[in-house]
This record gives sequence, C-alpha cells and structure tokens, in this order.
Amino acid sequence: MFVRCLLGLLVVTGLTPLGAAEPVPTDPLFSRHVVPIFSRLGCNAGGCHGAVKGQNGFRLSLFGAEPTSDHARLLREANGRRLNRLTFDDSLLLLKGSGTVPHEGGNRMPVGSREYQIVRNWIASGAKLDNLDASRVTRLSVEPGIQTAKVTERYRLQVSAAFADGSNEDVTALCSFEVVSKELARVDLSGEVQAIGVGDTAIIARFRGEPVVAMLVVPRAGTEPFPDVKPVNFIDGHVLAKLQRLNIHPALPCDDATFLRRVSLDVTGSLPLPSEARAFLADATTDKRSKKIEELLARPGHIALWTTKLCDILRPAGFDGKHGLTEAAEARRFYEWIRSRLAENTPYDQLAERVLLATSLEGRPSQEWIKEVRSLLEENVALRPDLKAYSSRRTLDLYWQRNNATGVKGAMQVAHAFLGLRLECAQCHRHPHDVWQQDDLLSFANFFMRVSNPTAGGSSTTIAKEGEMLAKEAKELRDQAKKVGEKTKDKSLSKDDVAKVNAEVKSLNDKATALDAASRRIKGTEIHVGGKPTFAGVTSTLGKQESKQFRLLGAKQPVSVGTEQDPRELVVAWLRQSDNPFFAQAMVNRVWAHYFGRGIIDPPDHLSPLNPPSHPELLDALSKGFIENKYDLRWLHRTILASRTYQQTAQTNITNRADTTNYASAYLRRLSAEVLVDAVNHATGGTETYPPELFLPPGAKAIEVAGGTGSDRTRASLQYPFSIFGRPMRNPDVQCDCERDGKPTIVQTLYLANHPAIHHKISDAKGRVTQVLKIITDDDKRIEELFLWSLSRLPLADERQICLKYIKDGPTPQRAYEDVLWSLLNTREFLFNH
Amino acid sequence: MFPSHHPTRRDMFRAGGASLFGMSMAQFFQARASAAGKPEPRAKQMILIWMAGGPPHQDMFDMKPDTPPPFGSELKQGKSNVPGMEFCELMPRLARNADKFSILRSVGIGSEKWEHSGGLYWLCGNPRTKDTPKYPMYGSVVAHERPAPKGLPTFVSFGHYYDTGDAAGDLRNNYLGSAYDPLTFKPGDAKNEVGAMLLPPAHLDLSAMDKRENLLKSLDQQLRKLDAAGPIIAGLDQYQQSSFDLLRSPKLRDAVDPKKLYSRDVERYGKSEQGTMALYARRMIEIGVPFVFVPWPGWDMHGNITEGCKNVLPKVDALLSSLLDDLDARGLLETTIVAMLGEMGRNKIYKDSAYSGPPGRDHWGTTQFVIVAGGGFKQGMVLGKTDKTSLRVTDNYYSPISFGRTLYHLLGIDPDKELYTTTNQPLKISIDNAPLIKEIIA
Repeated sequence: MFVRCLLGLLVVTGLTPLGAAEPVPTDPLFSRHVVPIFSRLGCNAGGCHGAVKGQNGFRLSLFGAEPTSDHARLLREANGRRLNRLTFDDSLLLLKGSGTVPHEGGNRMPVGSREYQIVRNWIASGAKLDNLDASRVTRLSVEPGIQTAKVTERYRLQVSAAFADGSNEDVTALCSFEVVSKELARVDLSGEVQAIGVGDTAIIARFRGEPVVAMLVVPRAGTEPFPDVKPVNFIDGHVLAKLQRLNIHPALPCDDATFLRRVSLDVTGSLPLPSEARAFLADATTDKRSKKIEELLARPGHIALWTTKLCDILRPAGFDGKHGLTEAAEARRFYEWIRSRLAENTPYDQLAERVLLATSLEGRPSQEWIKEVRSLLEENVALRPDLKAYSSRRTLDLYWQRNNATGVKGAMQVAHAFLGLRLECAQCHRHPHDVWQQDDLLSFANFFMRVSNPTAGGSSTTIAKEGEMLAKEAKELRDQAKKVGEKTKDKSLSKDDVAKVNAEVKSLNDKATALDAASRRIKGTEIHVGGKPTFAGVTSTLGKQESKQFRLLGAKQPVSVGTEQDPRELVVAWLRQSDNPFFAQAMVNRVWAHYFGRGIIDPPDHLSPLNPPSHPELLDALSKGFIENKYDLRWLHRTILASRTYQQTAQTNITNRADTTNYASAYLRRLSAEVLVDAVNHATGGTETYPPELFLPPGAKAIEVAGGTGSDRTRASLQYPFSIFGRPMRNPDVQCDCERDGKPTIVQTLYLANHPAIHHKISDAKGRVTQVLKIITDDDKRIEELFLWSLSRLPLADERQICLKYIKDGPTPQRAYEDVLWSLLNTREFLFNH
Repeated sequence: MFPSHHPTRRDMFRAGGASLFGMSMAQFFQARASAAGKPEPRAKQMILIWMAGGPPHQDMFDMKPDTPPPFGSELKQGKSNVPGMEFCELMPRLARNADKFSILRSVGIGSEKWEHSGGLYWLCGNPRTKDTPKYPMYGSVVAHERPAPKGLPTFVSFGHYYDTGDAAGDLRNNYLGSAYDPLTFKPGDAKNEVGAMLLPPAHLDLSAMDKRENLLKSLDQQLRKLDAAGPIIAGLDQYQQSSFDLLRSPKLRDAVDPKKLYSRDVERYGKSEQGTMALYARRMIEIGVPFVFVPWPGWDMHGNITEGCKNVLPKVDALLSSLLDDLDARGLLETTIVAMLGEMGRNKIYKDSAYSGPPGRDHWGTTQFVIVAGGGFKQGMVLGKTDKTSLRVTDNYYSPISFGRTLYHLLGIDPDKELYTTTNQPLKISIDNAPLIKEIIA
C-alpha cells in the first residue's frame, strides 16, 4: 500500500500540474463522456431529471443507469429541439444546461466550460449512441489510492477507467467527488483535495454511478518520540500501528476503580456492589482484571444485556396479536428464547442458523408441535413467568411470525441484522451511496419467498383440522362450565360448596381460553417452507421490477434451488463460509462498537466499500479469530476486553485530544436507557413495577424488559426514562442501529435533577440513604458507601471533607445524605461510562 | 451559556495551537460577545405556527375567484378591512384583523422536487438535503445566538419536530448539536412529565436548593479533569444549569399550567387543540421565551379538500386573529414575529386513488402562502402574485433563503455570521446570499 502511495505521489505532484485542464475529446462518446457529465453535474440525480417524472418534461435515467433510453429521449422528445445538428449551440440541452435560457437547475455547464465543450463536440460529431458493450467499465481506479498529507496541503486525485474494449482513459474531469469525514478534508470538482484536519478519511470518486475510494491520511505535526507501549494482544498491535502512523500517542491505562466500573457497566449493564469494588481495589494479584472479566461474562446481567442488544437488532415487534398472545407476550418469548441461547453460549453461527432456518414443526410430527403450543398458551393464561415451552424450542419461529418478515422487506432485515448491510434504497433504484442494485436485493429476497404461514396460504390440512378440534374442545369445556355453574342455583349448597363450584367453573373456563388461543395460534402461525413458488418484485415510482433468480449478495452468478428445498439453507451455508465478507464482520463490528462507542466501521450497521473501516487489518484479524474460535461470542468479548486499548484512560495527552476515531483514549459514552434506570436503582435502592403482561416480577431489572412497556393504562414505571433516554421502538420497518439514541438532552438532566420518581427513590424509607444511615454509624464510612453505590469509587480527600461539612451543616442527617446522593446521581461521572 | 467556564488546557491548545483547532475558543465565547455588542433587534421573540403537510394556498390566502375548480377553489373569497387584501370568506375574524398581518404569495421553493422535504428548507432557511450540512432550525440558531434570560428555555416546541423520516430529514439532528434542541412538551397534556419536572422539590427552599447545587458542583469535578471530555461535558453543563434555572422560575411553570387558562380565552382561540396551543404560545411570549414552535399536523389533504377546509379554516380564523389581537393589546406584537406556513402549497383538485371519499389536492412545491405579522414586518400587505392557476409565481419571487435571511435580519442575527459545527467546521448561518424581502420590512 505504501508503494502505491508513493507512486501516487509521483503521478500527482511530478507529472500533473495542479489545476491543469484536461484536453477535451474531439469525438466524445455518449456513455463514456456525456452521461458521466450528467452525473457529475447532478442532472440525473433523483431530485432533478433523474426523478421518475423527470423534471419539466425532461427525464434522464437515475444516475445514468440506462444510457440507451437517455439517448433516445434526447434525440426524439421535445420535437428534436434538445439537439440542434446545424447550429449546435442552439441545442436546448446546451441552452438550458448553460442557463442561457431560463433553467430551474441554474447554470450547470457555463458556455465554454469543459463539460459544455464535450457535449457540444458530441452533438457536432453526430450525437451517436456508442456501443455500450464496448464502453462497459471493467475497472475504475483512483490514484493515489492512499495519500499522506499535512494539514493545509493539497493534491489531486486522478481517476482512470478501463473499458471492455480494452481502452483506458483518464476520467477525472468526468467524475464527482465526496469526502466521507468532511472535517478532515475538502475536495473540489477537479479532484483537488485539501487536508484540513488530523486523521484519516475516505474520498469517494464517482464515474457515472460507479464509485471508487481513495484514502487520505493526515498525521499530526510534532516530533515527540512515540511512547514505548507494550501491546497486550493483537488488537493493540493494530491500534498502536495506526496511531504511530498518525503520530498520535495513546492514553495511559486506566486505574482499577475506573476499570471495574467501566467493565461492569459494559459487560453486565450493572454497577458493581460496594463490597465487590472494595475487594477488587484491595486485590493485589496481577491477573485480577482478566479474572474479573471472566467472572462478569458468566453473570446473568451479561446475558440480559446482549439479549437486549440482539432484540434491538432482530426487532421482536409487529406480531399482530391475533394468535392467542399479546404483542408483549410474544416479545417476551422472543426475548426468552434469545436469552436461553446466550446463556448456553450458543455459537453465533448456530444462533443465526436457528433463527434463519426456523420452522414451527422443526421436522417433528404436527402433534408434538400442537402439544407445544398448548403448553405455551397454558403458561400464558396462568401468566407464569417461566416460559420454558417456548425458550426450549430449537428454532425461533417467532422471527418469521412478525409482519414483513419474509419477501423483500424480510430480506432487507436479514441483510441488516446478520450482514450489517443497508439495502433500503435498493428497493427503488441503484443506491447512490452504496453498491447494491435493485436486482441484488430482489434476487436475495427470493431466498425468503417460500417462508409461509397459514394465512399466507399453504397450510397443511391436518394442522387446520387439529386447530378446529381444539376450538371444538374449548366449546365443550365452556358448555361443561356452564352446566357445572348451574349447580349454584341449588339453594341448599353451603358457602364452601358454592366456592368450590365457582373454582371448578373458573378452571374449566381458563382451560377453554387456553384452548381457544391455542386453536387460533395453530391455525394462524405455523411457519413452514413451501407453497406456491413466487418471486420477489417491487413496484416503486420507477415501475415494477422482478427477479426470478436466487443470487446471494455480492455473488456474480445465481444458484439453483430445488423446488422442494428451503432456499434459506443456502443463505445460512453462505453465512457460515469462512470467506463470507459480512457475517462475522458485522457481529465483530457491532460488539466492538458496544465497547468503544463507535464501530471499526461506523455507523456499525453500514458495511460498504464506500464506508471503509478505520482499522481494516484489525477488523479482519478479529473476524478471522471469531471464525477460528467457532463463533464463540465470549471469546470475542474477552479478547476485546483484555486489550490495552479497551483498558485505556479517558484522560488525553497533548497529542490525542482531538482524536475521535483512532482509539487513542477511552471515549465517554452516555449510559443507555436500560442501564441508566438500573444504575439509578442500584444507587438509590429503588425498584420498578411492571404490569403483569410483561411477565416480570416486581424489582426485575430494566435490562430484562423484553419489548414494550405496557399499555397506556398499565405502563411500567420506567416507561418515561425509557422514552427520554432513547430506548428504540424496534419497529420492524426501520433498519438502523441508530434507532437507539445515545445523545444527551436537556430533558434528561431535568429528569435526574427533578423528576418526582427520582426524589421518591432517594428519600424512600426502604431506600439506600435510610439503610446506610441505619446500618452504618460513622459519617466517613457512610459517605464512602454512597460513593461506592453510585460512582463505584472511594471519595477523594477533598470530596470527603466537602460532604462531611455539608452533613454537619445539614438540617437532618437524612436530608443531608439525600442531598449527597442526589448530587452524586447528577454528576457527569454517574451519567457516563468513562 | 457556559457558567464559570474557565478555559481548559484543551481550549488553550485549540485557540493557540495549529490553525485546525483555532476555532474552538471562538466557539465558546462568541455567543456571549456577539450578544453583548449588537444593536437592538426589531424582533425579540417569535412564534412559528407550522402547518405540516402543506396547506392549500388557493383555498385560503391565494384564491382565484375567476378560476373555476379544479385549479380554483370551491370556496368563496371575501373582503377584509384592508382594501385589495382578500382571502377565503371562512375566516371573517381575520378579515377584520387583516391590518395586523401580511400575506406573502410569491415566496416559495419554486420547484416541485422538494415536496414534504421542503419543510427542512423552510425551517432552516437553507436548502437542506442529505448531501448538504445539517443546518439547524431557526429556533436552534436563536438558542445559540440569543439565549433566553435565566430561568427560561430559549426554544420551546409544543410537539414533534419536523421529520421527513430519513436520517437527513430529522431536524433534531443538526450541526449545532443537541445543546440547542428545543424543550419539547405539550402543555396541558395530563401525561406531560416536563410539567411535573418543572415543579420545584417541595422539601427544599431556594437557599437549600442553592446549597445542594453547590455540593453537586464541587463533587462533579472528576470528568471535568478529562480534557477530551470537552464538548460533551460543556453541553451537559449548559443543560444542567438551564434545568436548575427552570426550577427556580415559577414563570414557565405557571405559563404551562392548564389550571391557569381562562375558559373564555380557550373559547376565543377556537376551542381546538391547536387554538389552545396558540394560547399557550402567547403565554410563552408573555413570560419572555424567545422562540416558540407550534406544530400543526394534518394539512396533507389528498382527499376531502373542500369539506376539510370548511372544518379547519374557522380554527385558523379563531386562533390567528386571537393571537394577533392579544399580542397587539399587550404591546408585544411590535417585537414578536408571528409566522404561519407549511412546507408547500397544493396542486389542482384531483382524485387520489389512495383516498376514498371526495377529491383532494396533490403536493405543490412551487407556490404557497406565508403569513407574517409583527416584529418589524409590514402589516396589511400582500406581496407578490401567482398566475390564474395559483401554480406559478408571476412577480416578486423570493426563495425560502430570502425568507430565512429576513427573519434573521429582523431578529438581529447576522445571517452571514459563521457558526461552528460540532466538528469545528465554520459555516454561515445562511449559506446563499439571497436578497432580503425588502418590500415586507416595515
């Protein structure tokens, strides 16, 4: 890469003077020169003539995807006035484009500009359509591929295209350019880049719609020697190597108290207990950090935290509630199923397989499934929180029972959840900021077209019959209940006997309710693969498109799928190939983003050649390691947590202050909604209450909430903090990790400072303050205890003095300690993981 | 507002170090400095009533009595107390108050390509797309440039912000960062938790609150020592100080207390949800909140246009005439801009297959109406003209950039001033040098 970079430098500074005008081709080709100009100047963008209706009667294909139709429209429409073969400058295309006659889009190519000349020359030479096969781009490259530059330095990019006919051309002056990190560099239409900030960024050049990426590295000026820092594992090797290239020095390792708080919040979503913190600080062994990591990874909180994370991604919402379980109950079972898998440390590839290949019957006789559904509904009617019937299933058929889980929308979700890809835009058109074409999406969606439930057709008749039978059975039970109930008319019955009869009636009715619900579920939800083969299509503003191929994302060739086969098996087999470019990377990157607040590819759910990683070798090494360790998620967590990079302090030095992308120090992260609610309860001794439909015992942690927070009437007490601290709604139609909002807002500070619920928790008779005052008599120790419960560290000497004085001057000890705890909760140190 | 902000080593480094970092110090102090040495603005406050969805201009404030439907309206135009200023007869009270506001008929995006996303353009005064910087909305700029006196939020929004549903189209996501977001709540809503949080703690008097806050400040030094924490900590400092100031001021609390509304006022404002929001907006202005955003959804009338207008125009009538009346009677109209508009106008009457029932009007981004009053705007004036279809401007065309610049001009904010993004990039408040709408400035 450095060789390439040097070569690039030669080309740029040695041979091509800055700002030199490219010669104008005398015989320009339509698809090679004219169409790229439309793209470069934005004429064929979605907001202009690339819109489906065109603009003011003139339509171009979006981003120049169809040169043939563009050519035809230019030639034939508008009575041929667009191109004037006699007086070329009177062509409407030139008159409008140059703003010589009124043009809503303004003066895009001034008279005499290079673009103007090219279009004019093309008209002059006959306005022909060139041979598109010969003009197909076989390779697009940019030089320099990597450039190192100082702040304020300028250089020029040069883009060349190789065409199918074997010719090569410098197309720089036909491209558009874009800097990904706009605070690091600027680029103009000539391809001239100016470095304006320290760090590295991608610069995307586009020829027609084709993108190519160049990198720019801007090291910090300064001659201090790079510190002698020992890497703990391979992660540090990669991070340090890049810091050295950028001349940015890494931060020091963090202290033990900071480490314990950080790792506890990150791994288990909970603050450490005071006793735990004291023990950890007192522990003098050298391997105490790695022991602590192991211990935390085995705690239920770790499982709950990652179940929540996976639920953010897999989105257990949009069950229609008609199949015997409410939305909340379905979400709970979904959550429990994931939780059980993570508790078993199911390898991630197997977890994905058990989600993606889910069927209701799982190859069992239908009777067995029906039995399962019946016990599921019995558990539900009894509101039993142990949801064994569902969580012990092998596969997660609930994933496919959500709205829009199959077909094109389902394919987009699979791509987002398991591959970290965003395909929404490919629904309608060639994605301008990515590489996916509409046909890529549709051909991928075909793998998910055969997943079916009875309402979508193809239910087995035996299962439908069984469903009917249960409904009949339920009716019989109700009749029986009615009959039994009539016994109470007998006046001679004692009170006890009446109660007995009523209990019997209730039990019969409960059974009937469960049976009815089971019947609805059996008739409505049985996920299977089969039915009539249909193909994925979309109708967008650009017309109807369909694909009849099965083609995996990024594959050039389609695969054949037998009529009896579950096409999803091919997807899963592809995910598990060790050279799958997305599957392992997407997970590794998301786990990394959890611990550092940003992904190696960021945003973490946007894997794309146009969104390059900050540390490609690191991402590669982590992904390989993950695969070699058989997709063991704990290995992944453990490896990241063990690194020096994770264990750095947030305290910066003179060289790394401005760094936000190279992990030169720990980055502050606001606690997420669930973790914050739990941290407040941990510190204050408070608890939450939940409506019964959430299947949570009182006092359960916020991180255990599976889906919604209940209806308006019954809402869980944590609904408000969930909403203001950005817990995602998990709408299955939204594919973005960004739905979880980590931004601080004024309402959040107001909440911690003055929400009645916070006051109540601080001053509650069963709360932390009251307890500490009761159990501990020494003020010094009391203060220590409150610091440990909230900030997980001991007070500094001056903090101790300040608190002691406050308590001495306070109206009552209770009130004074309440104020101390309130203050601790309102510090930034509490609100952030640091 | 950066209370007792001592420049950290980081700031010094930025201010004195490499040119790259030379901006940050300025960013920290410019707001104060610029607020100090400015001439008195014409408008000190502003209410923006946002008709989300795009109200039908040809049925409301730009009628063509000589053009039959579908281009013209099925409703009738009426006279007002200003000769030549005519609009739909379903707004008789406004007709008696026409000398208090002006109608702009020639200010618009002038292009069909924006449709709903034009809301971003209008609310930022800059053409904001996914490829442009994420310009902040007027209210955020006011919060940045002209922060409210202690104890009051600068920017209040009575509901959701404008959002076109994609990442680029969310106004909350803007380059000033969340520090200048509005305080969002719906006054009068029983579940309004913001109202509950505005009540000061019952067990603390003012001096006890002071003492407790001092305790917090002295215990909250740890992360402050981390230089890297700069912007995020500074932002939080600002929120926290504002939160505490809010608790000390009964003004805001009282202004949003539904028990303190007079029923005759509610009646006068039209007894509609929107009318009551406008009444609360007036109360915000009375206590001195600089910028109030009143969202009014439901204007995307693809169906039932005429009946829809018959239902909603009386609400417009009651709400706007009462608001202008009240502000005027209190002497506040002179220094308060009231603007009412949506993101576009509407096209001829048509049948949208997605809507059953009577026909509606499709989107039309080229022409629309904008109502302005107070704060240095001329009153009783109609600016500009459209053709007989109401679909094209024929004279005095101005873009939303001009509109935005005119607002800033009246608010005493220089639209050419450079603000700094959260990533320290300097950007002018108004990116294009469009002319002021001089004709409409009093």
